[in-house]
Amino acid sequence: MSTKPKSRWANTEEDAELDAKLKLEKEEKRRKKAEKAQKLAEEEAARRKAAAAQQADNTNLSNDHDDPSRPSKRRKLTPEPPSSSAPPRLLRFDPPSSSSLAPSRSVDHYDKLNDIEEGTYGFVARATELSTGRVVAIKRLKLEAADPNGLPVTGLREIQILKRCQHRNVVKLEEVVVGNDIGKPDNSIFLVLEFVEHDLKSILDDMPEPFLSSEVKRLLLQLASGVSYLHENYILHRDLKTSNLLLSNRGLLKIADFGMARYVGESPTPKLTQLVVTLWYRSPELLLGTRSYASPVDMWSVGCIFGELIAREPLLQGSNEVDQISKIFQLCGFPTDESWPSFRRLPNARSLRLPPKQQQQSATGSVIRAKFPSLTTAGASLLNSLLALDPDKRPSAKEMLEHEYFRQDPKPKPESLFPTFPSKAGQERRRRHEPDAPVRGQAVALGDVDFSGIFQGRKEEKGAGFSLRMV
Amino acid sequence: MICASDGIETSRVSSRQTGIPPRSYNGINGQKIATTLAAMSLFANPLATPSQLYQRASASSLPQDLHEAVFVATQCLTQAAGRLLQLPQSVTAQANVVLARYWVVDSPMAHEFSDVSAATIYLVSKLGPIPRSPRDVSNVYAYLASANSQLFPTDEPPKNDPRTYYQSEADYYAFQQRMLSLEARILRSLSFDTHVALPHPLAITYLQTLDFLSQPRTTVSLRVLQYLNTALLSPQMLYVTHQPHALATAAIYNAARDLGAKMPEHEWWEVFDVDREELGFLVVAMRSVEGWMQKLKDDIPSFGSKMLTRSLIEDELKKRGLRVDGGDTAAVDEEDEVMRMMDSR
Repeated sequence: MSTKPKSRWANTEEDAELDAKLKLEKEEKRRKKAEKAQKLAEEEAARRKAAAAQQADNTNLSNDHDDPSRPSKRRKLTPEPPSSSAPPRLLRFDPPSSSSLAPSRSVDHYDKLNDIEEGTYGFVARATELSTGRVVAIKRLKLEAADPNGLPVTGLREIQILKRCQHRNVVKLEEVVVGNDIGKPDNSIFLVLEFVEHDLKSILDDMPEPFLSSEVKRLLLQLASGVSYLHENYILHRDLKTSNLLLSNRGLLKIADFGMARYVGESPTPKLTQLVVTLWYRSPELLLGTRSYASPVDMWSVGCIFGELIAREPLLQGSNEVDQISKIFQLCGFPTDESWPSFRRLPNARSLRLPPKQQQQSATGSVIRAKFPSLTTAGASLLNSLLALDPDKRPSAKEMLEHEYFRQDPKPKPESLFPTFPSKAGQERRRRHEPDAPVRGQAVALGDVDFSGIFQGRKEEKGAGFSLRMV
Repeated sequence: MICASDGIETSRVSSRQTGIPPRSYNGINGQKIATTLAAMSLFANPLATPSQLYQRASASSLPQDLHEAVFVATQCLTQAAGRLLQLPQSVTAQANVVLARYWVVDSPMAHEFSDVSAATIYLVSKLGPIPRSPRDVSNVYAYLASANSQLFPTDEPPKNDPRTYYQSEADYYAFQQRMLSLEARILRSLSFDTHVALPHPLAITYLQTLDFLSQPRTTVSLRVLQYLNTALLSPQMLYVTHQPHALATAAIYNAARDLGAKMPEHEWWEVFDVDREELGFLVVAMRSVEGWMQKLKDDIPSFGSKMLTRSLIEDELKKRGLRVDGGDTAAVDEEDEVMRMMDSR
């Protein structure tokens, strides 16, 4: 046995509890000298136990280290400034400031002002908190009374993920409140989110002039910064689109709607559902039925959003899965073994009949450069790389932040100089149609569709199909 | 509204800035870890506050020993159900933690213990990679409660009689309703915070930095994980009073002591942000679980021989002359109680 003078705990194997007591007594003697406290050993033990729990309890109150007699109190949300006299705390694992073991509040603390929109997974309304008058957005989870599986897993995941997220470009979940039918399984659940005035989609629909390229750059930088934060923290959003991006009156962009999001490991996780991402923003590997994908699916959506910011309308508006992928190939060219070596192994790729090699020559190149003549070379190369068919060739969000495009003139416009827009969130619902986020269960097998026919058609109208190049 | 949100923003930023700058240790990229954690706290758990623990102990409708018995028995039940549902221990352990948290907020006597156990394991598996259907969970708990249950071995050889754990449609429906309403209740009680950081992966990382204490990797890792898993059952509720890194460090300490491994000379636990006080407390607490279980078995004969239910506990309370209603402990008749105590001497 290694009995060193320092590790008193090395002697504990015989009778651990007795040893603990002994130790505490010794501790106490020392303490008496130090602070002349007159306490019984039991009291001391109880106090130390409480202090230990409390120490671990909250590192925000980080300097109570040598003050175990501090009265117990509830966790504070605002941290105290550290006093210089205290020795530095070792504990660095900050417990989340928002979470403590306490029940949810009732929705009665809020007063509804008006509806904002109805999404796939819930209704959103503007509301104010009665005690403070603060305006918030309240999202009500769609619950089905007789759902045999209980609360919807998507809603629970959204809460779980948003609770952990703290980033200026990610919408903030303030709390979760519940309705008053306590005890019923279908009692309503409301997410209280920070209120942001606009969503990017309705701004794009309404604005008379397109965003300036300096504004596009700032928006993309913010988007990439938020996405990079998510990916660094093992979160895939899986439903990035302009209607899920909020923009405040101060030009601050925030990623919202985490109904599809989930945690993933670092390497591509197998057996993820391919039923993610709204069709128009869905990446080719998802459309080809991969079950093992990772952050590049979000980067594809970022690419689609990039195009949409410039063109003011969604870049790839397919009417169904097959149409979507043929639109993608029209824009980005057909995949080849060089441009996307692994695509043949994807489930739905087998039914894909591509034009023969020689005819492909003209069709494998991307027409992005031609479609966006206003983009600089750097901008086009960024968009091209984001819309790379091969997911491995797309840049990560972090790499995107470093891209040349953002360093060139015109420089990204400061957020504070962004134009303001009339807020639609209060006045009216969204009218323009776009496909909804996919819903669980509606499995789409691309294989059911006769692919060869589609590409047969493409082959015949080869000339017309790629006339886009001239535009 | 803008002002309010700005205030929050700045206070958060300042807390990050004024926080003690992270130390960098040999071999550990302290800076990187610290910045990531400050943002996400994936490795930290919400803990019970001392006042909550005090409240729980003082306002409880149960005497201390029964409280502990209920806790330990239900955590064991969850573990058994996790095995039968073929869930990885990472999922079952999270269910254990969620249950411990729930009982900090809500009284154990409010619902049947096995239903709470079922609801936590169902909820956690649903959020994780391997969801289990309510039907599976129902079957497993029906089996565990039956006379066939291997969880409570008897001297008689097990007779596999499916009739004892067959669930009629009505039974299943009733179970499902109870479980789902408890699911909602648990979520509400924990304000929907279902994230559980387990110490197990941290412990392995720490072992790697300690070069596995020059022991065979599997031996020492196994012993560490055994301590961590046992600690899940501890009625001291270590997982809601201590952060994962402290649990991991204490488990490594214990494993090293058991295997006679040589530990670094200096106060190595400080490298893992654990001070000596906390380490000492956890080391003793982890080592005492076994004795605790033994004592429970001796004190409460029914413990470990059949499923602990609310009615059993209520019977036990009656036997002791205690009453359980409205959550306050009051002797039915102090005189009787005193007489009974004198008789039993």
